[in-house]
Amino acid sequence: MISLRNILQAFVLLLGMATCAYAGPYEDALPKFAADSYSDTEAALGAVAGSGHPLSLSVVEALRDGRLLAANGQIFIREPSGNLLNAVTGQAFGPAPQNLKAVRINNRVRRAVEAAMGGLTLLSSDAGARMDAARAVFRSRDAAALPTLQQAIAKETHADVKQALESARAAILLNQADVSPTDRLAAIASLRSRGDQEAVALLSTLPAGAPPEVAEAASQAAAAIRSRLELWNAAQNVWYGISLGSVLLLAAIGLAITFGTMGVINMAHGEMVMIGAYTTFVVQELIRAYAPGMFGASLFIALPLAFLVAGSIGVLIERTVIRFLYGRPLETLLATWGLSLILQQTVRTIFGPTNREVGTPAWMSGALEVGSLSLTYNRVAIVVFAATVFVTLLLVLRYTSLGLYVRAVTQNRRMAGSMGIRTNRIDALAFGLGSGVAGIAGVALSQIDNVSPNLGQSYIIDSFMVVVFGGVGNLWGTLVGAMTLGVANKLLEPYAGAVLGKIVLLIAIILFIQRRPRGLFALKGRAVEA
Amino acid sequence: MKTQSLLDRQAVIVLSLLGLAAVLVPVLNVMTAPGSALHISDHLVPLLGKYLSFALLALSVDLIWGFCGILSLGHGAFFALGGYAMGMYLMRQIGPRGVYADPILPDFMVFLNWKDLPWFWYGFDWFPYAAIMVLLVPGALAFVFGWFAFRSRVTGVYLSIITQAMTFALMLAFFRNDMGFGGNNGLTDFKEILGFPLQSESTRIVLFVLSAVALAAGYLLCRWIVTSKLGKVLVAVRDAESRTRFLGYRVEHYKLAVFTVSAMLAGLAGALYVPQVGIINPGEFAPANSIEVVIWVAVGGRGTLAGAILGALVVNAGKTWFTGALPEFWLFALGGLFVFVTLLMPRGILGTAQDAWTRARARLPSRSAPNALPHAAE
Amino acid sequence: MTEPVTPTLLYLDNVTVSFDGFRALNALSLAIDHAEMRAIIGPNGAGKTTMMDVITGKTRPNEGSALFEGMHDLTSLDEAAIAELGIGRKFQTPTVFDMHTVEDNVLLALKDDRRPFSALFSRRTASERERVDALLERVRLTAHRRRKAGELSHGQKQWLEIGMLLAQEPKLLLVDEPAAGMTDQETADTADLLRDIAKTRAVVVVEHDMTFVRDLDVKVTCLHEGSVLAEGPLDVVSANERVIEVYLGR
Ligand SMILES: Nc1ncnc2c1ncn2[C@@H]1O[C@H](COP(=O)(O)OP(=O)(O)OP(=O)(O)O)[C@@H](O)[C@H]1O
Ligand SMILES: [Mg+2]
Repeated sequence: MISLRNILQAFVLLLGMATCAYAGPYEDALPKFAADSYSDTEAALGAVAGSGHPLSLSVVEALRDGRLLAANGQIFIREPSGNLLNAVTGQAFGPAPQNLKAVRINNRVRRAVEAAMGGLTLLSSDAGARMDAARAVFRSRDAAALPTLQQAIAKETHADVKQALESARAAILLNQADVSPTDRLAAIASLRSRGDQEAVALLSTLPAGAPPEVAEAASQAAAAIRSRLELWNAAQNVWYGISLGSVLLLAAIGLAITFGTMGVINMAHGEMVMIGAYTTFVVQELIRAYAPGMFGASLFIALPLAFLVAGSIGVLIERTVIRFLYGRPLETLLATWGLSLILQQTVRTIFGPTNREVGTPAWMSGALEVGSLSLTYNRVAIVVFAATVFVTLLLVLRYTSLGLYVRAVTQNRRMAGSMGIRTNRIDALAFGLGSGVAGIAGVALSQIDNVSPNLGQSYIIDSFMVVVFGGVGNLWGTLVGAMTLGVANKLLEPYAGAVLGKIVLLIAIILFIQRRPRGLFALKGRAVEA
Repeated sequence: MKTQSLLDRQAVIVLSLLGLAAVLVPVLNVMTAPGSALHISDHLVPLLGKYLSFALLALSVDLIWGFCGILSLGHGAFFALGGYAMGMYLMRQIGPRGVYADPILPDFMVFLNWKDLPWFWYGFDWFPYAAIMVLLVPGALAFVFGWFAFRSRVTGVYLSIITQAMTFALMLAFFRNDMGFGGNNGLTDFKEILGFPLQSESTRIVLFVLSAVALAAGYLLCRWIVTSKLGKVLVAVRDAESRTRFLGYRVEHYKLAVFTVSAMLAGLAGALYVPQVGIINPGEFAPANSIEVVIWVAVGGRGTLAGAILGALVVNAGKTWFTGALPEFWLFALGGLFVFVTLLMPRGILGTAQDAWTRARARLPSRSAPNALPHAAE
Repeated sequence: MTEPVTPTLLYLDNVTVSFDGFRALNALSLAIDHAEMRAIIGPNGAGKTTMMDVITGKTRPNEGSALFEGMHDLTSLDEAAIAELGIGRKFQTPTVFDMHTVEDNVLLALKDDRRPFSALFSRRTASERERVDALLERVRLTAHRRRKAGELSHGQKQWLEIGMLLAQEPKLLLVDEPAAGMTDQETADTADLLRDIAKTRAVVVVEHDMTFVRDLDVKVTCLHEGSVLAEGPLDVVSANERVIEVYLGR
């Protein structure tokens, strides 16, 4: 039975053939796509790309994305939206033919497509599109794009795009045997200034038979780029290390105060961090509900609140539990561990066991590009923040009377007591300070980590490692400890992998403590031995 | 003259109770009808066996913490290593009955596309070898770790923190698939032990009885150590370490010896645990587990040995009950227990009871007081 | 073993200890003979305790040598090894094992094999028991033998520590301020006891109590700022202008 659709198709076919009769190269080339042969496809692609037809770009794009379809010798474009267009007319096409098949491409064709794309858009009026095109040509190194490229370079006003265009030209020239050595050397110089991984790849796959001076220059340039890249890579890792170190510093610095001043091992310290993070969450929820416009300031609002919340919980803990356990560090350790379980479960009961979404204000997204380094703003913010907290604490401990008392108590509790310092008060305040600082660390960590009841647990061992490594009772030790561990961790990671790197580091610290049982910056003297 | 004998009243009570349990549990399991009030159900037997293995672990912690002042927050590592050694034996016993039916390679290795058995798995199909490894591996780790730590006089909280780091590092390592211990999933799907099916009732009863026997033996060993002159030196080290040195004792050797013995006991406990629970995975290395063991000891009474057993049983029974009845409250209860015991009952159940007993006795004509612990022993 | 370098029992030469630049001992030299008793005096912070720390291996000197029996280099041995050589020490603040009974304290100090294994298998012999009995009698603690050491009074603890020292059967006893916190009678008794001990062993006593030092009636060394200021019979030393100036007062 002949259905209406079949009749319609036959009609359309007829129509198509009719248009062919007076068609240009574009129309001539199209049917070749239907032949289902890679070489025909490639030929058709070349013709389409060179035709200057307004639809040619759409066809090439469609081919690249597998949206160029063929049925019964006719070619269609499926738009990303799903509409079917007739490739000849650009008109929407009614019910889709049943035997619609995507025109297949292989790697060879794919390269040709890339090249064609490049050629097609090199002269586009949109700078972004030109940039993409230049990159595409750079990858495909299609000599056919050279004339267009020259034209585009002459016209280009954008410095970035111009550089991309030039390195695309260099890529083509480098690979061409019939180009004079001087031109090829110039191309090498241009690639060298481009200096990225792709340039290295290009320089190290010179076609056979290149003159020796060209080969020599190419391998030199590749080596130069490689060592430069390695340097940048190391710098990037160091940056990651510094940002990890800042995170560790934030998590550990409160611990350094409580451990350093009171000799209190506060296993619930991580939970103070967690509480700070949840405070941020609550603040953001309230802002979302009542003052959405202030979202950008949410973190600044959360900071003092987190300090207060965590700090008061700290004071409460000190007054109700820890003060009965002074001089018994191991018991303190156990009691605070119990407290940490209670705090975790409380938060789990209130907020649920799953991760809570803490948003990042707009000003913290994006990245700072320094050379080949990419410094994301949230990391930069954390590094700056950690530095601020560190310096503030240093000043507080050095120049305020609280700081003086705290240091007095650190060095000789009994003596400080008999000089009229109310060690009780100082203990509570110092503990509150340490916990409060943990709270604000939580605000920062909420930006880079999952906010869940287990947040604190994941930092507690690391924090202890930092404090123990750096030495007790000395903020500088904590800083050095945090940065050393952070950077060492990130430098190890590329070689050992994240987990193994961490294991190596833990073992290193265990061994280090054997050498210096009291850390890098240990307090000395008889008070310590007692 | 006050002599502490190996078998004082407390020891006799502990051993008789253990003997009683070893007889009564099988009898009540087999001889009574399932509906009766006295019946011990089939799933209860391995659960009780698990408690006994925990009690042995607690005992090992009490030996070093209670008597030598070494607070290890990583004893779970030795327990887990013993467990893994046993698990490797049980794994090899599966033979071709695994999902992939490979006669040599355990399933997870086939799954990971491994071709050969790694060298450290050799020999584990032979029970005596595995049994030796159960003691040797934890013992060797403890020896090496302790040799470094005690020689350089790492003490107090520093030691606690690095033991914690040790178990944490091991946990990370065992989570890795490349380590060859089954990664995340650990070792499981065991079929039989020494040819006896693990699922069968009689095997479970035998395992329970063995756990009781091992616990009794462990207890006797600990008693022997703490009642000997060695034990006196340990207490001396706990209370005044440097004074002990000036008397000519090499404190590090004492600590090392007792730490290693303790790790072996923990390994044995792990080996008893695994066949009764049917699985061992890297979660056993979690630092939280090790800290929990310490609280068992503290609850029962640090430095009393019997207290460690009591604490392990009480806390774990409580845990089973809570996680069944009020799962959300278990962590509150456990956390509260930590705080309560350290603040209000620093001598634990047994120590407090002993104090009360001593006070009652003091009103009567005097007899000797038990060897009490200081309140601030560090 | 090598031949003794010096005939003296203890020989300190040019010993310097500095803590972060502060010299607690400054080129200190001192020689103690076999079965000699020496009293060391000097103001607070003179370095008396630090000197004992050096001799017993607690503190390593930055410079100088410390020889025992002319051949054992004390600066390279640890506390336990030095104790086993035969140097016993009583601390400035009495330290005994609080949780052990008085008798166990003495028992732990008894000269014996110090290795863990022998401790595990050691049985209390009749001769040990006799020695403990005799020692307790000598330091007058027989009546308290079953009490916990922690329950003793300050003076009793001092005596117990001396008893433990004797139990070690050392060749050299270092006694830091044995009379501190004692009544006059107890002080006199302590002096008697020490004189008695010194008949067979060398004893170095640090003490501030001049009556006590006079009672001892031995050669006196006065330390000041980490070095020897004066040495000789008490009368000569206490007549020394410098000693009067820095220590005794006018
Ligand atoms: N570990 C140490 N760290 C820093 N300084 C120390 C240390 N040990 C001793 N000192 C200092 O060395 C000096 C000598 O101390 P030492 O205890 O030897 O004096 P002393 O003569 O025993 O005094 P006293 O009569 O008060 O007991 C003192 O100033 C002391 O502060
Ligand atoms: Mg002194």
